[in-house]
Amino acid sequence: MARKVSWERQQRTDARLLLSGLCLFLAIMLGFPTIANLWYSFSDVSFQDLTGSGFVGIENYVDALTNPNMWSALLFSLRFAVVATVLQVVFALVLVFVLHPLVQKRPWLIAPLMLPMMVSPALMGMMYRLILNEFIGPVPVYLDMLGIYVNFLGIENVYATLVGIEVLQWTPFAFLVLLTARQSILPEVEEAAVVDGATGTKLNFLVILPMLLPTLGIVTFIRFIDAFRVFDHIFVLTGGGPGNQTTSISIYIYKLFFKENELGEAIALSVILLLASLLLLQVGLRAVVRRTEP
Amino acid sequence: MSKLKLAVIGGALALSALTANAALADITILAWPGGPEETALRKIVDNYNAIEDNDSKASLLFFSRDNFFDKMLADAAAGSKEFDVMLTTTYSVGQYASFMVPIDDLVTEEVKATFPQSALDSQSFEGHLYGIPTDLSVNFIYYRTDLFEQLMSDAAWQEKYTEIANAELGKDLEPKMPADWTWDDFVASALFFTKSINPDSPTRYGAALQMKNIIFSVMIWQTSAAGYGGNWMDADGNITVDSDAYRQALDIYKTIAEKGATPGGSASFEYSEANGAFGTGQVAFTLQWSAAYSELIDAEAYPQIEGKFDITHPAAGPAGVKTHFHALGLGVNKASEKQDEAKKFLAYLASEPVMTQYGKEGGKPPLSPALTEAYAGGRPDVLKMGEYASDYGVVMNGATSSKALAVYNVMAENFTGYWSGTIDQDTAIANVVAAMEEDFGK
Repeated sequence: MARKVSWERQQRTDARLLLSGLCLFLAIMLGFPTIANLWYSFSDVSFQDLTGSGFVGIENYVDALTNPNMWSALLFSLRFAVVATVLQVVFALVLVFVLHPLVQKRPWLIAPLMLPMMVSPALMGMMYRLILNEFIGPVPVYLDMLGIYVNFLGIENVYATLVGIEVLQWTPFAFLVLLTARQSILPEVEEAAVVDGATGTKLNFLVILPMLLPTLGIVTFIRFIDAFRVFDHIFVLTGGGPGNQTTSISIYIYKLFFKENELGEAIALSVILLLASLLLLQVGLRAVVRRTEP
Repeated sequence: MSKLKLAVIGGALALSALTANAALADITILAWPGGPEETALRKIVDNYNAIEDNDSKASLLFFSRDNFFDKMLADAAAGSKEFDVMLTTTYSVGQYASFMVPIDDLVTEEVKATFPQSALDSQSFEGHLYGIPTDLSVNFIYYRTDLFEQLMSDAAWQEKYTEIANAELGKDLEPKMPADWTWDDFVASALFFTKSINPDSPTRYGAALQMKNIIFSVMIWQTSAAGYGGNWMDADGNITVDSDAYRQALDIYKTIAEKGATPGGSASFEYSEANGAFGTGQVAFTLQWSAAYSELIDAEAYPQIEGKFDITHPAAGPAGVKTHFHALGLGVNKASEKQDEAKKFLAYLASEPVMTQYGKEGGKPPLSPALTEAYAGGRPDVLKMGEYASDYGVVMNGATSSKALAVYNVMAENFTGYWSGTIDQDTAIANVVAAMEEDFGK
């Protein structure tokens, strides 16, 4: 008995020792910036005074929450994230069902499908600045040959264009994760379902899809978070304009910080978003974990 | 050897090492990357390092152009010592002044003779000089000479021009060459050379306007606001953006955009897109930075306009011809531990022969007219830049303050919104005025 207690104590000591490195790393890399940001969010901080020595209470939070531009940026990000996520997940799911038999025999086909995701989002924006250019871009030029004129970055189409680029770039990620989940389903399960009379649509919707749901939940969650914080390709393509039409919450915070020198307000807004995302993370993970429990 | 001798020799060696280090302190210059500015500065730095008795060598550091100023601002605010000499601009000198050292002591009689006072003012904040001006930027109208010559000689075109001006603008206008334009002519010409309005137009669009939500769009556009007599503030510091001048100038872009006389994607156009549109030969003219000239004359890059375009000053408003102008410059980083060496380099840079050489190597220093002529050689853009900056150059009141970038930013946000139809003019102006009143404490 005494030996067992001693062994458990040793295990705990070892675990603490092994975790201490990670904890130290997190404390330095996450803890310190978080505490510093919390302090800044209550301070009158600017580039001219980075120490943030003037305590201003909740003024930065009030400024952040009462600025109408913040709400329009937040709304844009939410709309963008919901639409882009739904499209990516649906397309990825369709691709999984269509391509699964094919990639089982020819796995190398996955590689070219992954290419868009290898490009950095800022570079993606630069590429589309050229591709969609009315005078030298291949897309408008070919459409022009067909007698079709589309102003991709005009006010009437800019939202759809930006969502389209996001979907093109990140659908492969959702596809890859869902494909892995699909491939992990045992062939015996499918065979059993077929023996029970489930074929075609029934097999896919009543057997395979429910088994993919936990992964689908995780992919949806990851893509939503990623799309919500969109910055790069929108900033490169439109600068958040025309007007504020395509200003996402990340672009809004960036402009507050660097262009308007409102560091305290920008950081206060970041803290609010951090808290909101922690809440979302908690809810999302709980839902996923509950679903995967036996 | 006695201990005393050893100590003396050791001390002497240590002292000489210390003094040698102090004398040989090298400096790092954070400069504007790419283009002729980089090429010219590299040559100057090479020459500086080759001076025989110069024991302080200079090396160059370049960030990428994308968000250059944000990166420099973050570094400067953090007290970085990675660079000793840093970039400054007319529109950000107020914001950077607290991270820089005034260099009034470098303004010798020779420097005063080399630079016009307006050039030194463009690098000054609250009465102190913070940078040696190195590169000037003004606005030009780039126009197709073949098209406008035909317009001035073809009776049918002229008749059509007047008809379009009457029908679209309700104004009785005759065609003119761009050098004689008012802003009404600017708009009418844009409409005339637009295929959707004039099916016989040889170009798809009349103008290529930059209407992206970035500060540089506002800088180019405010050339027209200045032409109408507009200014950010009056002499007493009152905000004067809510004025007829601003409203009329805003409507120039609005009219051209609404009538489809600028490409549909203009809302995302900046410098390179405007060059691209004009360079393909599908646009009759564009209001653009002076720097574009050296790119557009490259026949390999833009064969469609080779030998077919010229430059002139922006159109005239009731207040005459005006152009926004600003200058890049180099100043001393306050956090630098080598400020004497940095100043030594800047004193070298500000001297007449060096600045003239900088111009000959491709730079565009704002020098006195005689010196500009000397270095310009056959470059018409350089000659016109000097002339326009001195005759028509405008720096808006408050546009060198610490709040200038914030003001440009809020203008870009609201004015591009108005041009694209997402907000009305009253709202756009009210938003800008409110932000400026807060920024300037009015």
